[in-house]
Amino acid sequence: MAAVRASGLAKHFESTCALDAVDLTVEEGEVRGLLGPNGAGKTTLLRILLGLVRADAGSVQLFGRPLDTSNPSALAGVAGFVEDPSFYPYLSGRVNLELLAELDGGEASARIVSVLERVGLAARAGDRLSGYSTGMKQRLGIAASLLRAPRLLLLDEPTAGLDPAGVREVGELVRELAAGGAAIVLSSHQIGEVENVCDSFTVLRRGRVVWDGTGGELQARAQASTYALGTSDDPRALEVAERREGIRAVPARDGGLVLSAEEGCLDPFALALGEAGVAVRRLELLISPLESMFYALTAEPSVDPNKPAGREERAFAET
Amino acid sequence: MTSTGATGAAALSLPGFGRTEGAVRRVYRTERRKLASQLAIRLVALICLVGPFVFTGILKVQSGSPTDTLYGVWVHSSGFAVSLVLLAFAGSWGFPIIAGIVAGDMFSSEDRYGTWKLVLTRSVTRRDVFFGKLLAAATFLIGLVVLTAVSSLLAGVLLVGDQPLVSLSGTLFSSGKSLALVLISWLECILPALAFGSLAVLFSIATRNGIMGVIGPGLVALAMQLLLLVGSGIWMHMLLVGSAFGGWHALFDAHPFYGPLLVGVIVSVLWTAACLSAAWAILGRRDFAGTPANRRPGWAIPVRVAGALVGLIALLAIAGNWGPVGVTATRLQADLIPTFNRLTILQQRELGRPVAPGARLNIVLPSCSRRGSTSRGPGDWICTLNVLIPTAGSLPPQPTPVTYDVSVQSDGCYKAQSPPAFIGQQLMRDSQGHNVVNPLYTIYGCFNTM
Repeated sequence: MAAVRASGLAKHFESTCALDAVDLTVEEGEVRGLLGPNGAGKTTLLRILLGLVRADAGSVQLFGRPLDTSNPSALAGVAGFVEDPSFYPYLSGRVNLELLAELDGGEASARIVSVLERVGLAARAGDRLSGYSTGMKQRLGIAASLLRAPRLLLLDEPTAGLDPAGVREVGELVRELAAGGAAIVLSSHQIGEVENVCDSFTVLRRGRVVWDGTGGELQARAQASTYALGTSDDPRALEVAERREGIRAVPARDGGLVLSAEEGCLDPFALALGEAGVAVRRLELLISPLESMFYALTAEPSVDPNKPAGREERAFAET
Repeated sequence: MTSTGATGAAALSLPGFGRTEGAVRRVYRTERRKLASQLAIRLVALICLVGPFVFTGILKVQSGSPTDTLYGVWVHSSGFAVSLVLLAFAGSWGFPIIAGIVAGDMFSSEDRYGTWKLVLTRSVTRRDVFFGKLLAAATFLIGLVVLTAVSSLLAGVLLVGDQPLVSLSGTLFSSGKSLALVLISWLECILPALAFGSLAVLFSIATRNGIMGVIGPGLVALAMQLLLLVGSGIWMHMLLVGSAFGGWHALFDAHPFYGPLLVGVIVSVLWTAACLSAAWAILGRRDFAGTPANRRPGWAIPVRVAGALVGLIALLAIAGNWGPVGVTATRLQADLIPTFNRLTILQQRELGRPVAPGARLNIVLPSCSRRGSTSRGPGDWICTLNVLIPTAGSLPPQPTPVTYDVSVQSDGCYKAQSPPAFIGQQLMRDSQGHNVVNPLYTIYGCFNTM
């Protein structure tokens, strides 16, 4: 059974089209990345799935049940947050969770200690929210979602404000929940943050879906990766690059080279540099293949920016 | 988007789903806890608890008394009068302000903190949230009214005493009856207080602005106080929920009349129902789409609401003469003369002079006339009572005119004061040599305007 089955969703805010004919299906155990630049419609889509906003058209089913916000069971098994997680600043983190657990009823209260430990906030749970950093609020937002033992987790940019360790922990948590059968939708405008966590991606631009598929499919269509390359002899390395298939290099402004390498071409190029007596001192991934693809998919059309995304545009994006 | 109900069986099979039947109760408990942890609520509770003692203490150390308020002149004579004076203050200002503090930010704070999305994505519907919050606000509002009532009674009885209370007809009510009537009066004010709480909820939801929600009821109460001074018709005045706070006045008449009390109850219920219906109509249809930078709520909605209110108040002011006139010379005379009569007897008894049972003054040619352009309606009046004073020998009694300046309110309650030439000073020495209030110095009374 699909955890989410949305079809034909449309939403306008006054004259602004936030969503237009959006379809989304997320299976149980799947981690779906919801990608798009700012204003693409990701948060509006999540708000509709959470019952906070009514769609102008289309339908939503969660676990096979039509979404009806007048029914307290409409969001049974569903948790998440949109935009930044917000809490009552005059209460402590623990009391905030206690109030939410009270609203949820059932066994939610019994999970408070474990979810605080899970997100690393147990030591600061007694502090007032007004003293929390952005990252701590983000962690508390995840804790609030976990209170509901979700089978569908909808997270809007959950790693915003987190340090690298926190980003990694969220990734591990998401994979752990998915392994347990939960469906997870992660929204982000940075594919690099979620590409290693998600099984599939839905890319939105201007309220429309411009890509929908698995990570493998996206990878297959991905363009060359971009690297920063530092060598012992940059002019010589540039000459070697010009003779290699699938490799393009240009001098970087601050020294070194910017290298574009297609899939499978990087290793032979590195060997060729060695044979040419050039030592590789630095090789750093700047833009991954998925990121390149993401930028291509979400790039603004140069001809007519107001033209809605159509079949031709999707074909361009997929090439 | 289609929206049909999910099956309960499917819902119950999923985790994170609490029992639906207790959803309102769960919201109620969380809101109660949130309210109890707010500094403003704690301060209000402290003021309700301590304020009456401070007020009574200040009255004890000074000789003056708040004579402009009903029962104000009696605050040194009976602790029950202290409670009633506090009730009159609370009805005019206290309860609307408390209602605003308790309920005026209850919904708008969710907008301010951005927590609607937090609450509405739990196992409760927005209907549950609406009713749960209402119940919590009502609990606190009623609790604060009861706290003030108990505190004012304790302060009055402990610091002044439980002496019998002079009724608004000039008779004496026993301590037990006074206590019962004072308690009923405080209870009667719960309904209009809840109506103001509903108004605060409406402001809070309609404007999404806590400031409007908190101060709005106080401003409306002020507008109602002003409207009660305008016009002489009774219907518009009856429809103002602020006048419902005065429903208890009629209970303190020797022959109580219950019309104002009943009307106050009905008007309070109607106001509550209208405000809450409007509030739910707005909340139920609302999208929780966040506040993009170019669509911040700001002051546009509050200004529009305030503009609509000003327009409404202007309309009500124009409607001030709607309906029959409640305050007339005949009604005022018919109430003032017997009250004066009884208070004179009370005065004579306190002075230790013999008064035969059933004795009464012989008052002839009483006349009351209103100052100003119209001869009817609330405002300032002058009443002259010609008292026939027996003379020595066989000479006929001589009429002695007693003139009272009478300030009459639209609900028929009045305060009459006279120069001390005939009735004496505010304080007099009773038969035991104690300084006591001269019952004739300031006369309070109420007559039925319906």
